[in-house]
Amino acid sequence: MPVIAIVVALLVSAVVLLVAGYDPLEAYPIMWKGAFSDQRTFSEVLLKATPLILLGAGLSLTFRCGIVNLGAEGQFYAGSVVATLIGINFANLPSYLLIPLVLLGGALSGALWAMLAGYLKVRFNASEVVTTIMLNYVAIIFTGYLVTGPMQESKVGFPQTAQIGEAAWLPRFLPPTRLHIGFLIALLVALLIYILLFKTSTGYGIRAVGINAEAARYAGINVRRNILLAMAISGGAAGLGGAIEVTGLTYRLFQMISPGYGFDAIAVSLLVNNNPIATVLSGILFGALRSGSEMMQMNLKVPSVLVSAIQGIVILSVVAFSVYRDKILKWFTER
Amino acid sequence: MKRLLTLTTVILLVAMVSACTPAATEAPTDVEAPAATEALAATEVPAATEAPAAEEDTFKVGLLSPGPVNDQGWNQTAYDGLVLMEQELGAEISYVELGESPSDFEKAFRDYASQGYDMVLGHGFQFQDSAVKVAAEYPDTKFFVSSSYYYEGTNVYGINTRSDQAYYLLGVIAGSYGDKGGYVGGVEIPPIKEGEVGFINGGLSVNPNWSVSVAYLGNWTDVAAAKEAALSMIDEGATFVTPNANIAGNGVYQAAVEKDVWALGSFGDQTAQAPENIVASYVLNYGRGLVNIAREVKEGTFQGDSNILLGVESPDVMYISYNEGAKEVVSQEVRDKVAAAIEGLVSGEIDAMAGYEQ
Amino acid sequence: MDILLLVSIAQSILAATWRMATPLIYTAIGEIFTERSGVINIGLEGIMLIGALSGYVVTSYTDSLFLGISSAVLSGIISGLLFSLFTVTIKANQIVVGAAFNMIGTGLTGFIYRTLYSGGSTDKLVLDTFPSIKIPLLSDIPFFGEILFQQNLMVYATVVLVPLAAFILSKTAFGLYVKAVGEHPKAADTSGINVTLIRYISTTIGATLAALGGAYLSMAHANQFVEGIATGRGFIALAVVVFGRWSPWGAMGASLLFGVFYALQLRLQAMSGNVIPYQFLQVLPYLATLIVLVSLKGRGAEPKALGKPYKA
Repeated sequence: MPVIAIVVALLVSAVVLLVAGYDPLEAYPIMWKGAFSDQRTFSEVLLKATPLILLGAGLSLTFRCGIVNLGAEGQFYAGSVVATLIGINFANLPSYLLIPLVLLGGALSGALWAMLAGYLKVRFNASEVVTTIMLNYVAIIFTGYLVTGPMQESKVGFPQTAQIGEAAWLPRFLPPTRLHIGFLIALLVALLIYILLFKTSTGYGIRAVGINAEAARYAGINVRRNILLAMAISGGAAGLGGAIEVTGLTYRLFQMISPGYGFDAIAVSLLVNNNPIATVLSGILFGALRSGSEMMQMNLKVPSVLVSAIQGIVILSVVAFSVYRDKILKWFTER
Repeated sequence: MKRLLTLTTVILLVAMVSACTPAATEAPTDVEAPAATEALAATEVPAATEAPAAEEDTFKVGLLSPGPVNDQGWNQTAYDGLVLMEQELGAEISYVELGESPSDFEKAFRDYASQGYDMVLGHGFQFQDSAVKVAAEYPDTKFFVSSSYYYEGTNVYGINTRSDQAYYLLGVIAGSYGDKGGYVGGVEIPPIKEGEVGFINGGLSVNPNWSVSVAYLGNWTDVAAAKEAALSMIDEGATFVTPNANIAGNGVYQAAVEKDVWALGSFGDQTAQAPENIVASYVLNYGRGLVNIAREVKEGTFQGDSNILLGVESPDVMYISYNEGAKEVVSQEVRDKVAAAIEGLVSGEIDAMAGYEQ
Repeated sequence: MDILLLVSIAQSILAATWRMATPLIYTAIGEIFTERSGVINIGLEGIMLIGALSGYVVTSYTDSLFLGISSAVLSGIISGLLFSLFTVTIKANQIVVGAAFNMIGTGLTGFIYRTLYSGGSTDKLVLDTFPSIKIPLLSDIPFFGEILFQQNLMVYATVVLVPLAAFILSKTAFGLYVKAVGEHPKAADTSGINVTLIRYISTTIGATLAALGGAYLSMAHANQFVEGIATGRGFIALAVVVFGRWSPWGAMGASLLFGVFYALQLRLQAMSGNVIPYQFLQVLPYLATLIVLVSLKGRGAEPKALGKPYKA
């Protein structure tokens, strides 16, 4: 069914393209080529998907727990900051120690940043919709301060940190592509979160809170503990995403280290009905759309910003299809 | 069961259709794409010279832009250069807008280099790492990075514009008429900071009481905040305000109109933004600078033995444009001071960055 | 520092405060209606961009501010109806739809703006905006004159909007219906209130005001559209609603608080001798929100059915 929805979304976007004077029959094949034409382009799609999968899988856990966590963006920043700090200051450690340390540090800081919002929710009943948005801004602005101040490479240089030690760089396993083990980690994390959520009693508790917190409380489930746990794991995944972005691709921290992964990831998770393992698919879809739109701009001058609209339309049509699935099914079966 | 079967069939069908559609049209597109690009470009730029004749020695230039190419500021300067290359050199041009996150840059460099582009420009310091990395794999392509001092003897060349010099000249104008200026920066990065220093030094060179009030927005899009920042400065007594914040900077001109103080345009002739209040603009014809480089690259005369600095010594690249229709037109006396300052900057007698710790 | 100077600084900061608060007031008041009826719309950022662009485009082509505002309103109504279609009729997850609206708003406005204004000539780009109107006599009052009586029409309109919204919500039948639907849709339904209709209307009011908030940015405060001009204000408005505890007056207070911090940080930067990194000042409004939220200790008035589609 999602496939039909995607086709519909592409049709709607085709109309937009046509109205603006571009030929979709020319544009879409180029988009396809930009994402799937060879090993290199597809590896880039997977690289783009990596943070989306990590953040999306993490978010699915909080959404399943009934928490409207809009804070993955900030948690990603928190993770990338701490990963960079460790990567620079412990550059002398051997890789087998440094890489786990960097990733762990990133995940931990993301988890703590998310738990702050979780704590404010359970302790002060502060709406996470607001606190996570605020904490996003705090993290982004603080990163801006760090890279223009204390962590800046040189005093009058550009807003970027020094490079992290080479020992912290994630190994690449498919040369000459840039594909690094961060992608595999993302797959593993998505799988682990899936198992946690659907195959363990902890996961059952988290879902029970999401379905009806009041009922869960009566059933003896510790609601506060589950909310904190869900936030911690979700933030941990996002922080890990930030750490992987730095250690896998950029090797240093920049002011705008995320192009909005945290917000795209909301859609990545919701698109597959908050199923952690399925975020692999929706993450790759979004990665492909973005890669393809870059190629579309290079070749046809179609503004690449259009990709956001296409993604939005994909979500809306998936939503509509999932609701009307039964009716559509009936329509087909009755004939 | 029957339902399930039907469903599976439907999904399969759709999957096939969706998979086939691109595949079926893919082949012809490969041939058509370049032609279409040219057609599009030709309609965009009526004055364009004829499309390149022979396909194989087409000179191809790609641009990686960190923001929208129509931002009337930084990114547009590079885009204008691309258009000029198309017109004057018959180059095949292409650009991609990537945002400010560096994770995508390497891919885009490789996309271009692998398609045989002769020249690829990353338009900002943040592109340097990726350019250096990709350049090693594609020795036949020349990589340029804006706002960079990079040169290590390879095929990566940093290009830096002396925005300190440009704002120095604006400072000379403002300081000749008033005691206080306002400078609204986008994000605190060296080119913007250098402009600030130049603006202060330029004013001081003609007026010992000169001071500048400075604010940074933290982004390049919040035009409302830029306007409020300028209003605050005007309230602090600034009589000349100037932005260095890409498109957000347009709010500064608007503030000048509302409070009826003077504004100084940046990056291009901004007179249309505030026809009566902008007394002068500094024009950065970065595009001209790029074309000059591209011509050398195309003709094989490019030396490429150092990084590149673009400043007032190239009068076709960086110059001051006066607004003859302003409420108060800049006097000849002040224009002479500016001309003298340009001479001093070119000869090295004047250091626009004086007093700033490097 | 002498007193006169301080007073003048305070005056200009307060005048800027109201201007910076205005887009938040519009958008947040709208979202109050939406949320009070039990629907949460996190797509405000996207809708603000849509309103900003449509108002700007129509004004730039027709030179009529009235037509511009009308088209912003129209774009808001369409966005609101679409949002309701997905959240109320189709009963999709409201956060999903909101996220989609943000993406569509960002992508579509950027795309359309680029397609329409790619020439790069600047003459058509600048609008004649709503002029600031000095109210005779009152605008001459020392201190308060500049703050309160020298603003533009869209700023003044907030003075009407806030009490009007408060009145509608607390004193009219429609307001009661909205709240009933947001608290106990089942009970409301049983007592004969059309839950679907009320949610459609409330959500559309919300989107329309968000579009106006966006249009304020491109037509009244600034004089042109810029890609991403909302710069996160749609998300701040969500915070403002909670901060103001779902009351129009509260939202106005919260918007003004954001406005004052915003104005203050720009002003502090502009003041000579400032040595505080500008990021420290920028982060103030967000920290303040967190602190206030904590001090409220959840004595909020969140509608009980917020975010839950109603299935009869």
